[in-house]
Amino acid sequence: MDTPPLSGSDSDSDDSLVSDRELQDAFSRGLLKPGLNVVLEGPKKAVNDVNGLKQCLAEFKRDLEWVERLDVTLGPVPEISEPQPTPQSKDQKKAVNPEDDFQREMSFYRQAQAAVLAVLPRLHQLRVPTKRPTDYFAEMAKSDQQMQKIRQKLQTKQAAMEKSEKAKQLRALRKYGKKVQTEVLQKRQQEKAHMMNAIKKYQKGFSDKLDFLEGDQKPVSQGKKAAVKGQQMNKGPSAKRRYKNQKFGFGGKKKGSKWNTRESYDDVSGFRAKVAHGKVSKRPGKKGSNKRPGKRTREKMKSKSR
Amino acid sequence: MAAAKRKRRGVPATAAKKLKRILKDAGQPAKSPAVAGDVEEEEKDRIPGPVCKGKWKNKERILIFSSRGISFRTRHLMQDLRMLMPHSKADTKMDRKDKLFVINEVCEMKNCNKCIYFEAKKKQDLYMWLSNSPHGPSAKFLVQNIHTLAELKMTGNCLKGSRPLLSFDPAFDELPHYTLLKELLIQIFSTPRYHPKSQPFVDHVFTFTILDNRIWFRNFQIIEEDAALVEIGPRFVLNLIKIFQGSFGGPTLYENPHYQSPN
Repeated sequence: MDTPPLSGSDSDSDDSLVSDRELQDAFSRGLLKPGLNVVLEGPKKAVNDVNGLKQCLAEFKRDLEWVERLDVTLGPVPEISEPQPTPQSKDQKKAVNPEDDFQREMSFYRQAQAAVLAVLPRLHQLRVPTKRPTDYFAEMAKSDQQMQKIRQKLQTKQAAMEKSEKAKQLRALRKYGKKVQTEVLQKRQQEKAHMMNAIKKYQKGFSDKLDFLEGDQKPVSQGKKAAVKGQQMNKGPSAKRRYKNQKFGFGGKKKGSKWNTRESYDDVSGFRAKVAHGKVSKRPGKKGSNKRPGKRTREKMKSKSR
Repeated sequence: MAAAKRKRRGVPATAAKKLKRILKDAGQPAKSPAVAGDVEEEEKDRIPGPVCKGKWKNKERILIFSSRGISFRTRHLMQDLRMLMPHSKADTKMDRKDKLFVINEVCEMKNCNKCIYFEAKKKQDLYMWLSNSPHGPSAKFLVQNIHTLAELKMTGNCLKGSRPLLSFDPAFDELPHYTLLKELLIQIFSTPRYHPKSQPFVDHVFTFTILDNRIWFRNFQIIEEDAALVEIGPRFVLNLIKIFQGSFGGPTLYENPHYQSPN
């Protein structure tokens, strides 16, 4: 490196200039951003040595009889809701959503079922027993105590369910009972009101029959009573009631209904001569005429009779 | 390390003992069911049945143990696995400070050729190693959603030591790492035939399903021949992290891109 310092520096500066220029170009093109640019590593690649795996498998594999290993590779049994024409269990793989617990567990269950159904005939052929004789006692994976606990838990669960069912039914029954009770009460109220009406009518003299006292002849007498009632009720509300209804009824107090105007003064439609002269008896046939004379008349009579 | 303190029984001695035991059992005639009314009945040749006595050839032994600092749930899971797999052996807890390849020596001393090792970190995350001990592949998983046998919602029951039926998802045949895992799982979880501690009946089924890039494990009891099933438990979910070529070490054969560390 016997180049003169100038040229050396030149070459250096040339190099740096070149690199500087390159940098400037890159920056002007927008490839570089201001700030410290650091070289990043690329994304990590996962090792997948397929050949290595296959070789390893070949070395590692043991050629055992199937009866030693008892392994099955099958997909799950198809669901009953989907009728499939071909029983090829390997091809039916709907994507099971791993988040859906029930679906997931059902797929495991069905896979196990498929395996069992495929293997049992083979085992029977190879005379490997699958059923335990009833008198064969042996230690189980879970102790008897554990199984008792499980049984108890299941029982309490079932009892709780039954209890809640019973409570629901009782509640429903009570509601129904309440309904029936209110109906009965209402009916009684109605009957009472009816009876009182009938009594009042008899008192007022509209009906001289005491049929309402015989309460048990319902359908026929009710029809009769209704007819009689209707005839008498044709008079509708009394005159006083009608006057008041007109004055104060629907719509509240009529405006200016109390004015003492010429029109109202001149209006003689409410005049009944016989009533005014006292010649109409309002209570026809009430125990005969029970007219007690007035005080003065009685005194006169008294003095006269002496 | 605990392994160094342990007394060693040579391999030929244990093998000879086992052989003697089998021969002795073969000599006994089949006893009547009345005598078999004992609760702890483990010898398979006392059942009156069409099964002919056979020799135990498939010598698989699984070492199941854990590190220190595991929670009660993990401990129960480990005990459940030991109960369900009669071809398993237990060992004391291992210090986490020791390197993992020490486990290979432990396996050799116990004469086991497979290992299930539970590792608990920070009392929260549980990692499970499945490995084939001398040279074979090993896999590390993150275990989630553990439910043990003691949970009351799982009402099934099975014989202790009965042979399981293994059911795999068809997805296990699609990808090479899953095929390797399938082989590993088959060799670990299937109880060898005529194992002295096993019961000859097949009355429960283990299901391994691949869903959401995880392996879901369930254990069902077979009640009826028409495949009515009840869950026994335990249940857990394995999230694959890595597969190594060697046992607890060696080059990585596969790394799960969907795995996210829980921290």
